[in-house]
Amino acid sequence: MPSNDQYAYAVGRVRAMETRLLDRSKIDRMVEAKSAEEALKVLGESEYAEYLAELGSVHEFEKMLDYELRRVYLELRKISPEPELISLFTRKFDYHNLKVIFKAHKLGEKRDELLVQEVGNIPLTELARAVSDEDFRNLPPQMRQAAEKLSEHFRMEADPQLVDLLLDRAMYAEITEMIVELDSSFLKDYFIYLVDLLNIKTYLRVKRINRPKEFLEQALLPFGEVNMMKLVQLAEPLEVLVDRLMFSRYATVIEEGVQAYQKTDTLTRYEKLADDFLIKYAKQAKYLVFGPEPIIGYILAKENELKLIRIIMVGKINKLPTEEIKERLRDVYV
Amino acid sequence: MEFTIGLAAAIMGAALAVGLACAGSAIGIGIVGQTAAGVVSEDPDKFGPTLLLQSLPGTQGIYGLLIGFLILQRTGVLGGNIVEMTVHQGFAVLFAALPIAIVGLFSAIAQGKAAAAGVLLIAKRPEELGKGIIYAVMVETYAVLALLMSIMILFNIQF
Repeated sequence: MPSNDQYAYAVGRVRAMETRLLDRSKIDRMVEAKSAEEALKVLGESEYAEYLAELGSVHEFEKMLDYELRRVYLELRKISPEPELISLFTRKFDYHNLKVIFKAHKLGEKRDELLVQEVGNIPLTELARAVSDEDFRNLPPQMRQAAEKLSEHFRMEADPQLVDLLLDRAMYAEITEMIVELDSSFLKDYFIYLVDLLNIKTYLRVKRINRPKEFLEQALLPFGEVNMMKLVQLAEPLEVLVDRLMFSRYATVIEEGVQAYQKTDTLTRYEKLADDFLIKYAKQAKYLVFGPEPIIGYILAKENELKLIRIIMVGKINKLPTEEIKERLRDVYV
Repeated sequence: MEFTIGLAAAIMGAALAVGLACAGSAIGIGIVGQTAAGVVSEDPDKFGPTLLLQSLPGTQGIYGLLIGFLILQRTGVLGGNIVEMTVHQGFAVLFAALPIAIVGLFSAIAQGKAAAAGVLLIAKRPEELGKGIIYAVMVETYAVLALLMSIMILFNIQF
């Protein structure tokens, strides 16, 4: 009997939950709203309605997004037959928290408001204790290695960039390991695309700030399909990159993204296109009946939705023109 | 009443027809039930339509029971006047049971999956219940064909 049947209940739950995701028309109404308050009001007819009353002002909208993120992950963890599947997606919060705590402890940047509560797999107190005692034994292996390396480096020189670099690499290494165990080709491909698009972005950034090849090598993640080091030299013009990737699946993202980057000098367009590419891939999960894919699809859809609301609200609060917000908006899952 | 190998084979046929077809229906209904429970926990109004879809893989079990019942009747186990039969005749009755036993088992599971997909369909589009049912009922065709063959074999065995 196929083991995918164990997902029968979870998929039923998720499909019903999917109907409550914000659709294109609600997003459009938010974008067209005259003020931030009005944009927020559109959410009154959605899952977010329950939080709206608790918000003192529109500036607290992040609080609403935090609540929703927590609610979704706690709910999914309860219904997923394989809890590892959800842990895979909540790993990033552990790494994010560790970064914040590391920076707070070693560099004195106290930013407790950035910590993500409850959603991660490792309690915040444990992370804080590990960093202050420099005892990382209880952390997962990849995280532990990276943290030990970091605190060694920090004894000589405190480099905040190194925190991000080492921990990001450890995170993707760990996620790659977890995916092998979950044995889902849908998930595997998703992360390969994610890493490739991230690596291309890293290349563009590093090229811009004129760092040496060694730095790029350190910043690139070795878990994708495209080997940037072999593909293109840092000294070569951007057209070479576009040419070389012309026949890859990322062709549209690269061509338009790099063009916009050369014109405007920002990666906003590239980031939007990369996200759209990933959401388009995730949409395949809508047509699969049983298995982990619909749950993964829902997670990605929800994270995308939170991102959309954030883009709109930040835009509205800063009184950006509607057109400009629209340009930044990603595609929706539903 | 005297038990012969032929009679034992015929009874085995009845047991297989009921046992396998009902097992298939149970698995099929179980799959739909799980999916339906998932949907209903988010949207309790969907109980009625999901129950309708859940009942679809149940027919294979009924077909199996029908064949089992007919075998017992034809061999006279029901009623006590056991028909005299050779080993060959007994096995022929056993083989008559196989179409519905095998097809009942697998088609009920397949139908369960199609019906579960139908449940997912109405989770999103409640107005499309009819289409969801049709997709699941298409599987029924093959259970009916198997039932037909089981009946035809059974009634053409001369004792």
